[in-house]
Amino acid sequence: MWAVEAEDLRKSYPKKIPLPFRRVEWVEAVRGISFRVRRGELFGLLGPNGAGKTTTIKMLTTLLEPSGGTARILGLDVRRNAREIRRRINLVAEGERTLYWRLSAYENLKYFARIYYVPKDEERERIERLLKLVGLWERRNDLVMNFSRGMKQRLAIAKALINDPEVLFLDEPTLGLDVQSAIFVREFIRRLVDEDGKTVLLTTHYMAEAERLCDRIAIIDHGKIIALDTPKGLKKLVREEETIEIRAKNIEPEKMSSSPFKMAVIERNPETGVLRLRAQVDEEELPKLVEWLVRRGVKVLSVERREPTLEDVFIKLTGRGLRD
Amino acid sequence: MILAVVEKEFRMFFRYPLRVISSILVGIVFLLQFVYFGQAVLGGRYSALLEASTGMGDYPTYALIGYVLWWVSVSPMEAYVWGVRRELQRGTFETNVLSPSRLTGLLFGLALSWLLMDSALMAVVFALGAALFDIPVTIPLLLKSLPAIIASLVAFLGFGFIFAGLVMLLKNIGPFAQIFEFAMLFLSGVFFPLAVMPDWVISLSKLFPLTHSVNIVRTLFAGGGYSDVGSSLLWLLALIPLYWGIGYLLFRWAERTTRVIGYGGY
Repeated sequence: MWAVEAEDLRKSYPKKIPLPFRRVEWVEAVRGISFRVRRGELFGLLGPNGAGKTTTIKMLTTLLEPSGGTARILGLDVRRNAREIRRRINLVAEGERTLYWRLSAYENLKYFARIYYVPKDEERERIERLLKLVGLWERRNDLVMNFSRGMKQRLAIAKALINDPEVLFLDEPTLGLDVQSAIFVREFIRRLVDEDGKTVLLTTHYMAEAERLCDRIAIIDHGKIIALDTPKGLKKLVREEETIEIRAKNIEPEKMSSSPFKMAVIERNPETGVLRLRAQVDEEELPKLVEWLVRRGVKVLSVERREPTLEDVFIKLTGRGLRD
Repeated sequence: MILAVVEKEFRMFFRYPLRVISSILVGIVFLLQFVYFGQAVLGGRYSALLEASTGMGDYPTYALIGYVLWWVSVSPMEAYVWGVRRELQRGTFETNVLSPSRLTGLLFGLALSWLLMDSALMAVVFALGAALFDIPVTIPLLLKSLPAIIASLVAFLGFGFIFAGLVMLLKNIGPFAQIFEFAMLFLSGVFFPLAVMPDWVISLSKLFPLTHSVNIVRTLFAGGGYSDVGSSLLWLLALIPLYWGIGYLLFRWAERTTRVIGYGGY
């Protein structure tokens, strides 16, 4: 049995609230995606903002009604078996405001333990174990409002484990975290899969995160899956000799959008004005690309061949970068 | 699960003593304004006109009963409107929806918490009001009034589900709910007898459980019994299933629609 199955899953949002007798226009957010996640697998949905990742996760966690297609979690249909699914999954939602800031860490977990029907005789032990696991046991009586962003995220993960879920969904789990907290969260997620055998489905728009963490990745763009494979398999889509990294100055982003080349800005240094661009061009195209840049007043500082990354896969498949 | 919600809400409310004190002070200040304004209009504490139309001539007693019951009656609506909105703003609403607990149960817990908190605050306001205006209150009298008060609150707990559904769907319905709450203040005979209102308003007022519970409690305080207010009692008992039925059906429709557009936040 698969942990997660999505078959031609679709979601459209109304532009206005669909009241009776009111005509509303609908906007497609997810346009028929299909994938399967094995038990004990760490699966990533990678895509830019607005690609449909959060909508997909909300349909899979029964928070949103799909407009079409089917989705099953642990063999259970998300439309018909929502309550049973909710017992067996949990979600770390995006953002830091998923906890009660005016309650302490312990009180938060106690509340969620109760609404998840954790047996009373296990409640205390489970809360203690989880708080120790995320390194917050010593701060258990502090109000969440006094926690740092990283601590709040660690507590949100502990909260999501309160019902010992078989499948854990994480929506942008490291968004806005400092480097140290992000490393802790990533290692913690990996351990959940490797040591506890949990199935994890996470969304991210951080390439490196997806590459390092996930067993398999689905790249999603404009509500569709455009590639699905292991990180290694995805990178094979891009030939090494085609991957170019250019460091340059004096680039006006609006001029770049009309580029006939598969190219994207992947890093900007606001202090020096230096930009790093990744491009997918072969030997013949490379001089043309450099010439095209120079004609637009761009000061090219260096051109190098680089090992392909997932960013290059995305550029190759869509012709633009994840941040564009 | 309902108890967990109640415990959480109590912790968050009573953790800030200043908030509790200010809520009581607001309750007292409004009461004083209404009582002194009423006495100024009536020309004193006692009014023969009031007694002739309602059976209770002592204005402070009349106003105190109406005011305290109104405040407690609107608290389930306040919970559904402001409590749910706060959860949406906090981002905790979806986290609750995601749990295997029924949403209706979680919302009922929220409304019950606010009702109990407001009842505790209003018990203090009532005691202070009774002491301030020298109103004779006995424990047997309070116990005798309890069934009518509870019946009224049960009706409002169900009715409030309409607002819970609307707030999930439309998010910001606070001003609309407040219009309704204040309309009830005028249409339930809280501060003045309904006899002075047009006939259609009197008929409309019968649809509010508060009209009947206030009438029953005032009659009991004036020395009467339940047998004197049989019609109000019947109205009250009939309104409970009606309010719960309408509230639940509208809530279910709103919940289904919300699952299409998303619970979302602010």
